[in-house]
Formats: sequence, structure tokens, C-alpha cells
Amino acid sequence: MNRKGVHKTRRPRNQYNTTMASSDPNKLLSKADKLTRLSLTRWSADWKTATVLYEQAANGFRVSKNIEKAKTAYEKASQGQQMLSSPWDAAKHMESAAALAKELSNWREVADFYQKASELFMECGRPQPASDALAKGARALEDTMPEEAIQLYTDAITILEDDEKEQMSFDLYRAVTSVYIKLEKYTDAASSLLRLGLAADKCNATNSQTKAYLGAIIVYLYAHDFKQAEQCYNDCTQIDAFLKSDHSRCAGKFLSAYTDGDVDEIKKIAQSSAVSHLDHAIIRLARKLPTGDVSSLKAVTAEDDEEPLDENDLT
Amino acid sequence: MSVIDILFRVDEVCKKYDKYDIDKQREQNAYGDDAFARVYAVVDSTIQQALIKSEAAAKESNRAVAAAWNAEVRRAKGRLMDEVPKLRKLANKKAKGLTKEDIAIRQDLVLALPERIQAIPDGITSAASHTGGWAATSAHPHIKFDSPEGPVDSDYFSHSEESSQFRNEYEMRKLKQDEGLDIISEGLDTLKNLALDMNEELDRQVPLMDEIDSKVDRANSEVRNTNLRLKKTITEMRSSRNFCIDITLMCVLLGIIMWLYNALK
Repeated sequence: MNRKGVHKTRRPRNQYNTTMASSDPNKLLSKADKLTRLSLTRWSADWKTATVLYEQAANGFRVSKNIEKAKTAYEKASQGQQMLSSPWDAAKHMESAAALAKELSNWREVADFYQKASELFMECGRPQPASDALAKGARALEDTMPEEAIQLYTDAITILEDDEKEQMSFDLYRAVTSVYIKLEKYTDAASSLLRLGLAADKCNATNSQTKAYLGAIIVYLYAHDFKQAEQCYNDCTQIDAFLKSDHSRCAGKFLSAYTDGDVDEIKKIAQSSAVSHLDHAIIRLARKLPTGDVSSLKAVTAEDDEEPLDENDLT
Repeated sequence: MSVIDILFRVDEVCKKYDKYDIDKQREQNAYGDDAFARVYAVVDSTIQQALIKSEAAAKESNRAVAAAWNAEVRRAKGRLMDEVPKLRKLANKKAKGLTKEDIAIRQDLVLALPERIQAIPDGITSAASHTGGWAATSAHPHIKFDSPEGPVDSDYFSHSEESSQFRNEYEMRKLKQDEGLDIISEGLDTLKNLALDMNEELDRQVPLMDEIDSKVDRANSEVRNTNLRLKKTITEMRSSRNFCIDITLMCVLLGIIMWLYNALK
């Protein structure tokens, strides 16, 4: 069938070509390098063939588990695709390079590659894979470079919110919160939860919203910042959806238990079902409540209550 | 003629000749002048009805019906107690044809009324015996949950042994029910949370499904186009292959002719 003048179907570029000389990927790599290096005999680089050769070399290296070389090959292939102005393929190669860099534990490169890949995806006009790439990078860096991870997560969230796909950003917010909690930056964690609540509000996801607000209040209580927690609670009760929900009742019970200084009550509330369905990091915090001395809080709040009464008496 | 028709006819006839019924007229006019007697007769008949109803309620096995009837008896008793002061006033009024003794008798009757009214049994005695039976203990005929107002004896509220035992059982059963309900409520809480999470997840996936839908539609139409083109190309090819077959056969024919020519030469 192929013989008689039928146009040969184009083989997809990424397919591993076994009919070509399955020679040593090193040879392919050097050949491709030669094609791209400009010299006296070569006035313009032949990126098309070079890219094909780079891809083959990269696949060959990956199969033979030569991760370092595979990574370099993928980088060069991505560069070639960029030259051929197909950002999608370029971005895909960048992602593969980044995954290999992760295996090598080359964290700086991981961050750079994923960011580059995300930019290329945005060039294609596809924000979803862009934020996915950043999220993958952030997840890889969570343990080793948490600040960088937070930065990547925030960028990913911004991309999604610009595209009005807040629903997808919930997972990212939760990841950011857990990283902050691990770093013990509780105010930042609470603020990210509040932003989650805002995003949930925009897409009418009331359950996520109320869970986010309850989580924020618990984080404030865990940081032993009672005033902040109360203020947060007051702010959140302005929102109808939160006010009518189970979670706001639970938060109110928490705050009143704190003002009463009743440790058993706090422990009981932490076992309730409203808390048990939150994010597991927050459940862990809630179980560890109360931190610090609750009775001191009781004394403080009692004093505060008496003073306004005195003022009223004078006036 | 059917039975119903007969009944209707009988009613009509009776109604027509009611004015000749001496007994009935006497009844209706008997207390026409005497307000006291009229009201007293009404009260009396109400008491009789209440007594009958309470007896029936005591005998009734269906607890709901018994409770309803007891409630009606209690309502009737309340109404009767309201009538008593009216009767007292009427008893002291002087009416024509009444002697002093008659008035005294009337006053006694009115005084006796409250006791008679209170005496009508309206407690949930039968229900108590029922629940006693359910708890596998003997009947408790003296337990009343709604104590009527009135004179309270000194040992009116003393617990008999049976009643305190019954009360304890009742409390225990209530506690067990509460525990069971707590467990059920926890389960329902979990279900609710799961359902809400599922709801949100599905909401999240709806726009993704829409995207998939449009992309698949596009891919579908592209594949259809490709198929059409392929079909066209194939038919072209086949016809060209037919052409090849023609040529080949012609060559064969020529070959045969050449061979014949050589053979005949």
C-alpha cells in the first residue's frame, strides 16, 4: 500500500525510532551537537534534524539509566523545539529534564527547569499544564527547599486564579498550608487558609470555605494567639455561609472553651466530627490543643470584661 | 324499597309528628323557665358521658385511643369545673315555684358537684399498666402522670416501691436510647461530611468534563474527515490497481500471441 504514490504518513516526533541506526546515544548526541554548532563550514544550525537526534539520544540515555546525560539531552532537545517554535514539545522536554534532575537531587536545576517548562506552557496558552508543572516542582522541593516550594506553589495558584479556575487551586492552597505548618509559620498558614476561603467563596464551594475558616481559627489558637483567633472568628461570621454552618458553631465552642479555661471541653471539641473532616495537618494541630496555659487566658479575659464595666459606672 | 329509603321515611314521619310526642315536649319545656335546672341537667349529662368515656378508655387496649379519650375526659372535667361557679350563683337565685327547701337542696347539689367531677377517672392508669407489662413487671394501677388540681393529701406524692422501680427502669431505658441516638448522630455527621466533599469534587469536575466533551468532539470530526479522505484515496488506488491488472493481462496476452506466432512460424 505504501508503494504507490501515497503520501507517507508523518511519524510523530517523539516516537522512539527503531528503524534508524539504534546506535550509541552518545554518537547521536555528538552528531546533533555538530549539527548545531556554528562554524566556518556551517552558517546556520540545522535544528530540525538536530532536535530529532537529541530526542533519540535522550531516550537512549534514559533506557540505559544514564541520567546525567539524559537530562542534558532533554535540555538540548527542548531548546531545539523552541527554535522550531513549538513551545508545547519544548515544555514537555523541559519537564522530563526536570524529573531527571529530581532523581539526581539537583534541586536548583529542578526549580529552574520546572519554571522554564511552566513559562513555555503559558506561551502555548495553556495555563493548566503550566500550574501543574509548577506544582510538581514545588512538591519535589517541599522537603529540601521549602521557601522555594512555597514560591512555586504561590505562582501556580496565581496562574490558576488568573484563568478563573479557582476550583483547581484548593489542593495547592492546602499544600501551601501544610508546608507553612511544617515550617511553624502559623500566621502565614492561617492567611493562606483565609485565601482558600476567598477562592472557595468565588466558586460557591461553601463546605471548603467553612472548613478553611475553621482551620484558620484552629491554627491561630495553636499559635496561642487568642486575640487573633477571636478577631478571625468575628470577621468570618460576617459571611453568611460560615455563620450558618456547623464549623462556625464548632469554632464558637472552641473560643468559649478557651475563655472558660476548660481543657477537657477543648479536648472533647477536638474529637468532634467537624474537626475530624478537616485537613489532616490541621487535625493534628487540633488534637494538640490547648497549647500553653489556658487558665491565664481566662484571667486575662476576665480582667478585660471588668474594665469596660467600670468605665460604664463612671460615665 | 331499600333500607336507607325506609330509614329516611321513618325520620321524616317522626319529625312531622314530633309535636305530638308528649314526653319529648315535656323534656324540652320542662326546664324552660328554670335556668338552674337546665344548666344542672346539662352538667349532669356531661358528667355521665365523661364517666362512660373514661370507663371505655380504661378498657381500651390501643394506648393511643385510650390516651385520646382520657384527654377528652380531662377537657370535659375542666369545662365542668368552670360551670360550677355559674351554677352556684343560679342556685342562690330565687325562682317562682321554688320553696326554701328546694333552694337548700339545690345548693347542696352544687356543692356535691365538684367532688363528683374530680371523681371521674382520667389518669393514664391503663397505659401505665401497659408499660409495666412491657417491662415485664406487674401492673401499677396507682400511678398517675397528670395529677389533677385539688386537695393534695400528705401522702399523695409518696413513692410506692413499684413506682420508684418503674421510674428507675424508665430512666435507664431513656439513657440507653440517648446513647443509641448519639451513635446514630455521629454516623450521620460522617455521612454528611462525605456527601458534602463528594458534592464539591463533582462540582470541580463539571467544567473539566465540558472541556473533554468539546475536545473529543473536535477530535471526532477530524477523524471523520481523515476517514473520508482515506476512502477517497483508496478508491483511487484500487482503480489504478485495476489499471495495472489491465496492463499485466495485456502483457500476458501479448506474450501468448508472440508464442503462438513463433510456434506457427
